[in-house]
Amino acid sequence: MIDAQVYDFDAIVVGSGVSGGWAAKELTEKGLKVLVLERGKPLQHGSGYLGEHAPPWKVPLQGKRPRELYEAEYPVARKVYAFSETNRQFWINEKDNPYVLDEQDPFWWIRADVVGGRSLLWGRQTYRWSEQDFGANAADGHGIPWPVDYKEIAPWYSYVEKFAGISGQAEGLPQLPDSEFQKPMGWYALEKTINARLKKKAPDVTLTMGRVAVLTEDLPGRSACHYCGPCHNGCSTGSYFSSLSSTLPAAKATGNLTLKANALVERLEYDPASGKVARVHVIDTATNERAAYSAKLFFLCASTVGSTQILMNSTSERFPNGLANGSGVLGHYMMDHTLGQSGMGIFLDNMDSYYYGNRPTGLYVPRFRNVGGQDEDADFVRGYGYQTFTIRLDWQFNANSKGFGAGLKEKLRKPGPWIFGFAGFTECLPQESNRMYLSRNKVDRYGIPQVAFEFKWSDNEVKLRQDAAKQADRLLRAAGAALVVPVEPEMSKPGEGIHEMGTARMGADPAESVLNAWNQAHEVPNLFVTDGSFMTSSSCVNPSLTYMAFTARACDYATRQLAAGQI
Amino acid sequence: MNRREFLQCAALLVTGASASQLGFTLSQEQQAYLAKAPDYTAQGVDYLTDAQRRIIAAMAEVIIPRTDTPGAIDAGVPKFIELLAANWFNDQERATFEAGLADMETRIPREYGAPFDQLSPGQQLEIMEALEDAAADSDWYDLAGGSTRDFREFNSDAPFICQVKELTIWGFFTSEAGGTQVLRYNPMPMHFDGDLPLSPDDSAWSGSLL
Repeated sequence: MIDAQVYDFDAIVVGSGVSGGWAAKELTEKGLKVLVLERGKPLQHGSGYLGEHAPPWKVPLQGKRPRELYEAEYPVARKVYAFSETNRQFWINEKDNPYVLDEQDPFWWIRADVVGGRSLLWGRQTYRWSEQDFGANAADGHGIPWPVDYKEIAPWYSYVEKFAGISGQAEGLPQLPDSEFQKPMGWYALEKTINARLKKKAPDVTLTMGRVAVLTEDLPGRSACHYCGPCHNGCSTGSYFSSLSSTLPAAKATGNLTLKANALVERLEYDPASGKVARVHVIDTATNERAAYSAKLFFLCASTVGSTQILMNSTSERFPNGLANGSGVLGHYMMDHTLGQSGMGIFLDNMDSYYYGNRPTGLYVPRFRNVGGQDEDADFVRGYGYQTFTIRLDWQFNANSKGFGAGLKEKLRKPGPWIFGFAGFTECLPQESNRMYLSRNKVDRYGIPQVAFEFKWSDNEVKLRQDAAKQADRLLRAAGAALVVPVEPEMSKPGEGIHEMGTARMGADPAESVLNAWNQAHEVPNLFVTDGSFMTSSSCVNPSLTYMAFTARACDYATRQLAAGQI
Repeated sequence: MNRREFLQCAALLVTGASASQLGFTLSQEQQAYLAKAPDYTAQGVDYLTDAQRRIIAAMAEVIIPRTDTPGAIDAGVPKFIELLAANWFNDQERATFEAGLADMETRIPREYGAPFDQLSPGQQLEIMEALEDAAADSDWYDLAGGSTRDFREFNSDAPFICQVKELTIWGFFTSEAGGTQVLRYNPMPMHFDGDLPLSPDDSAWSGSLL
């Protein structure tokens, strides 16, 4: 007689950010009993957003930054635009949770440490990949070909977009397929002025409203944006997509969800008899107690670096170099988008036009270089897109003016000129030498080896970045800038894009990839990885929407395989 | 923002009234938190002498005076300056601050016959302008306050007069009086209009810090 195996859960999901939230929702809605493990602290939607809507006069130091504290405990996170006293509770304490930070060639590993993860802090920009993006590796020979194409993913994009709620404008562009859109947000008068000039003088580019996971129409349990401004302080109306506002409540509503916070995953235990993951080993960071949980399915959604760290730390006789790493590519082919200001101009148009409300996105310029084929004047492959920013200067920009008294007060209280600029987001090629690995001699407070990085931009990224600056200069002149502010196209720090990806890439060939086309480990059938680790190339667009689509698709596949007895 | 809108927003922040009518609900916890949270300048500090406090207050008022709207003293700026100088400045910045303040305390009565805060507005302005002239080559006055610094942080090399100006201006426009009566404040706009008519006398929005 054979005993039926008793499992603690049907499925265990590690991580509760964008990918983990989706896995939790999809798997619970398919009837599976799911345990979600989140290393971060508990956080309640709404009441946990302590800095939301806080007026500056109630914020510590009225918005000046506690410098000594940040240098000591948040040396990397403090450099992120979204980091503030109004949301510091969302971020990881880097002193308590160190990684190997190379002072000469730093990699910025930006981490949250709460339920919901970086879905609370993300930029909310949501763009589909195109057919050309999925075909890029095969076309130019960098990296390995994707085992899926756009047509395969398109319905999954639609599926996740309808639930997440994406506002934006359909443009019908092949290089940036339209999503299932709610109505787009409105334009500044200056942006309309600029757009009209660009249509005449730079017809090769399209200026469209940023496509964002911020509602312009109500969805169940979530309200249209109230335009308060700083989304990254949390949004109690659920107007932007986060796991806390969206996927985790849906998962909870099924009655099938168990969520454990403070649950740091140390490793996955491989069972050589079954050839599958048997258990996950967990440390409770509040009590230091250890526990292990079994399940039929395991979904790693702990973020690219987090999931890869777990796989690397899950060694066994069968997998001495990390779980599911027979290929040896685990940790390699890491990518991040280079980003940053490409050009900025001061505009004196529409000076008698102001704005009401704080729009939580800029405009977007879809990729216009090497679209459909190689541009003749391009000494680089692939391309970049621009996020634009429109700012009406205020007292913060001229607080260092000379003078005193009523005249100074008058000058400071009134709006100044307009700034409009382009921030390039550049595709990154997959290179074997860009990698993360586990330190041999540094461990964290639980004895888990610390993560270390080796990452250098290739010439292609440098050339893309330079071209982005050159083209931005052309566009600013075409747009009628009164003054084009010179910008040095410096490379961002690796990791600064917070789009790290690719360390457990998918591919058709198990000899050169970790995952198959379904985000399933080639060598471990009940193991799925659906955060950024699976990415085989990087495109130039913000990646979270693609993680959502692949996660939902992988959950569908895994559940069907499980039902068919294939897992 | 008109007064009716402002009152609606203020009511929401304090009591949550009419939240559902406006299409959203702030959680009870958040309302309680915001209502209970004291202003930053409500806390105590014991760093300056009373004489020094009078000088700092007078300097702040020269920078941002009361006009038909509140000035630096109305907005609690002197307390803000004392709090930051006591608790936030690093040693270098605090040394600059204390040396500058000592100069004001000793030199001004010698040259003008009375403490700074008892001088005429014209004399006070003359003294402040002289300090600014002497500091004119500081990179604090460069575009964006010195190209390498984050404005939420500080230029540690800033001379005393620049320290006082920066903390006065920052403290004023992030105060409740400065943010709501001199700038325009609306934490709950509820919609976006990218083409709101702007009259020459209109103030900028208070709001998101850089």
